[in-house]
Amino acid sequence: MGTFGIRKKITFKMNSGSIQSENFLDRESSLGVLLMLPGLILLLVFLAYPFFLGIWLSLTDTRIGMPGEFIGLWNYTDLLEDDIFHQTAWNTMIYAVVTVPFKALMGLGLALILNNKIRFSNPIRAFVMLPWIVPTALSSLGWFMIFDPVFSPISWLMIEMGLIESNVNFLGDQILAVTAICWVNIWRGIPFFGISILAGLQAVPPELHEQAAIDGANKFQRFVNVTLPQIKGILMITSLLSIIWTFADFQLIYVLTKGGPANQTHIFGTYAYQIGLFGTEIGMAAAITLYMFPILAFFSIFLLRYMRKTA
Amino acid sequence: MEKVNDNQLKSIPEETAENGVTRRQIIKTGAAAGAVALMGGFPNISSAQNKTLNIVRGTYFIPGAQEIAKQQAAEFGKQAGVKVNADFLNWTDLNTKIGAGIQAGGIDVIELWPVQNHLYANNLVDMTDEAEEVAARGGGFEEYVLNSGLVNGRYLGIPHGNNAGTIAYRISAFEKAGVKHADKGGMDMTWDEYFAVAKECKKMGMPFGQSLGHSLGDPIGFCYPYMWASGALEVGDDGKTILFNTPTFEYALNKFVQAWKDGYDETGTSWDDSSNNRAYLSGKISSTFNGASIYYASKRRDDGGELMNDTHHMLMPKGTAGRYHEFGTQTMGILNNSKNIDVAKEYLKWWFQPENFDKWWRIQEGYQLHHVKNLADDPMWQDDPKMGIFKEIPKYGRLRGFAGNPNEKASLAASKYIVVDTFAKAVQSGDAKDALEWGERQLKRIYR
Repeated sequence: MGTFGIRKKITFKMNSGSIQSENFLDRESSLGVLLMLPGLILLLVFLAYPFFLGIWLSLTDTRIGMPGEFIGLWNYTDLLEDDIFHQTAWNTMIYAVVTVPFKALMGLGLALILNNKIRFSNPIRAFVMLPWIVPTALSSLGWFMIFDPVFSPISWLMIEMGLIESNVNFLGDQILAVTAICWVNIWRGIPFFGISILAGLQAVPPELHEQAAIDGANKFQRFVNVTLPQIKGILMITSLLSIIWTFADFQLIYVLTKGGPANQTHIFGTYAYQIGLFGTEIGMAAAITLYMFPILAFFSIFLLRYMRKTA
Repeated sequence: MEKVNDNQLKSIPEETAENGVTRRQIIKTGAAAGAVALMGGFPNISSAQNKTLNIVRGTYFIPGAQEIAKQQAAEFGKQAGVKVNADFLNWTDLNTKIGAGIQAGGIDVIELWPVQNHLYANNLVDMTDEAEEVAARGGGFEEYVLNSGLVNGRYLGIPHGNNAGTIAYRISAFEKAGVKHADKGGMDMTWDEYFAVAKECKKMGMPFGQSLGHSLGDPIGFCYPYMWASGALEVGDDGKTILFNTPTFEYALNKFVQAWKDGYDETGTSWDDSSNNRAYLSGKISSTFNGASIYYASKRRDDGGELMNDTHHMLMPKGTAGRYHEFGTQTMGILNNSKNIDVAKEYLKWWFQPENFDKWWRIQEGYQLHHVKNLADDPMWQDDPKMGIFKEIPKYGRLRGFAGNPNEKASLAASKYIVVDTFAKAVQSGDAKDALEWGERQLKRIYR
């Protein structure tokens, strides 16, 4: 029969109004569902199930090794009276709100530099990606040593230069500890912004710059009126993703300070870890993490709607 | 039992007895028979075939102890005919591993730190009979084991002692600061006297060091005894009344705040459990609260014994309410969701036999305190007089959560670093009152 024969068979069957099962794989919608199924199963098992289990746990007084009872929203309301939780929420806001603009600005600067024709641009681009590529726990450990209270090379250098007399308490002073964790987060996140914005810059048609130049615009005016509008979408997407990731951070804070000194660098993830796995109160820990959910959901929905609008 | 390997067999001359059996054959058969006898010595393992025993312990500071524990696990496996996995985790990660084991299985034998036998009481196998057998064989458990190893009158595992912490100091620095008999160790100081020495040492460029960061060992080991010595408690013996924010403790905490400025390395608010070791071993500080690891490390330095000879130990200083150490026993327990409880029990019974346990204990040279009275006079204690003070620590031992029970509330308070953060807040702000009020609020939330 050959292909012609099969086509004829399909036409006949469609005209007759009945859809036979042997045509299931020929339809894009059915095939799409089938191909999506393994990924969907993985998402259901490793994301959806833990998520809904977490919601259930947050409504109980479950402890590790001891089944709990349903207590409604008690964990959530109790957290509202917890000083440490207030501090944690505040720390998380500061952490996200301070670091993302810096990452965006410095990433933009990096992208503008890399967008020029420079020698060894490919190796340089690979090199600047390192903070992003190196596992966070590993790079955080490196910074932990740099900020070491007794053996910090920064303190040593400043003492040798006569600028200070004793070691800087990078991770033990409230202001310095918050600055340190923000700095490490910014350092780690700049490459992501840089490379993403660079991709956006390289998609800007050169004719637009040429036309602007012909019209008498200087470099700064071309940047503001041509470049920025073109990369606005990329900036928005990378910023929203970064906010989501920063809110949900854990390893950087855990390696550097474990939420100290005196809870001054605790964020939702580290506080939940402490309560759930050391204090064994996994119901309460689930509630702590779920306080993040509305915030993350808001930013995710905003991002998805923006991406749909620009698509 | 000593293994007989092929090389040893080859070295034995080949002589044939009258019945045609060679000497080598006799030895080989004897070894096999011995192995069978030993397997016969594990009568409670119903079927060892295809069983895997998973043992999880914290890493041991003394590498030799870890090596011996590993070898012994393998030896038991050979003798009992089971596969044994012996894992050693960073001990601060034990909680997480225990939680995972309780929720999802996969751990048979677990090494528990003090209070964890109370915290996970619902998930541990009752081993009172086995523990009492160990005690009887060893002349009875030490007092601190009885105080901390029993959970509602039962042993949920077999106690095996613990490593203790106390004050390590540089003899030369203390002598320069005017302390008499610093070279003898074991000085009986009050906190005021200790802080006065700190001030002198800091003037010489060798302050004291203390960790007040979010670390489970030294910060808690220092702050809880200071609190108790100042007459304060997390909770009263009714398990509800918070006795934390007391006038005497406020007074004592203000003294500590002053001492922190005058005599301590003020970066201690970010120190973890290793920071003070590194600072001491590199000569940056002259005294700190720590286990015997500092002294042990100093013994192995390539400096001709200089630091070792200049290091000694003393008990925690006394406060107005006495002298205390935060101390309890560790326990080797079995999770009750284990599928190999019979094998796990046999392993523990075998490991706690003196010929096995004592080897593991002695190589630590006093780093691990003994659990039974017979070991109190072990010749090992004569090897190094500087370790002798550690034997005294259990007399002053209390568990976190005192005077209530060392239960889940005590664990929650410790895991949230309520007491430690009270100290940290006080030294950061200089305001002990405010810090104590904060700590009291947190404890009231936990013990309501």
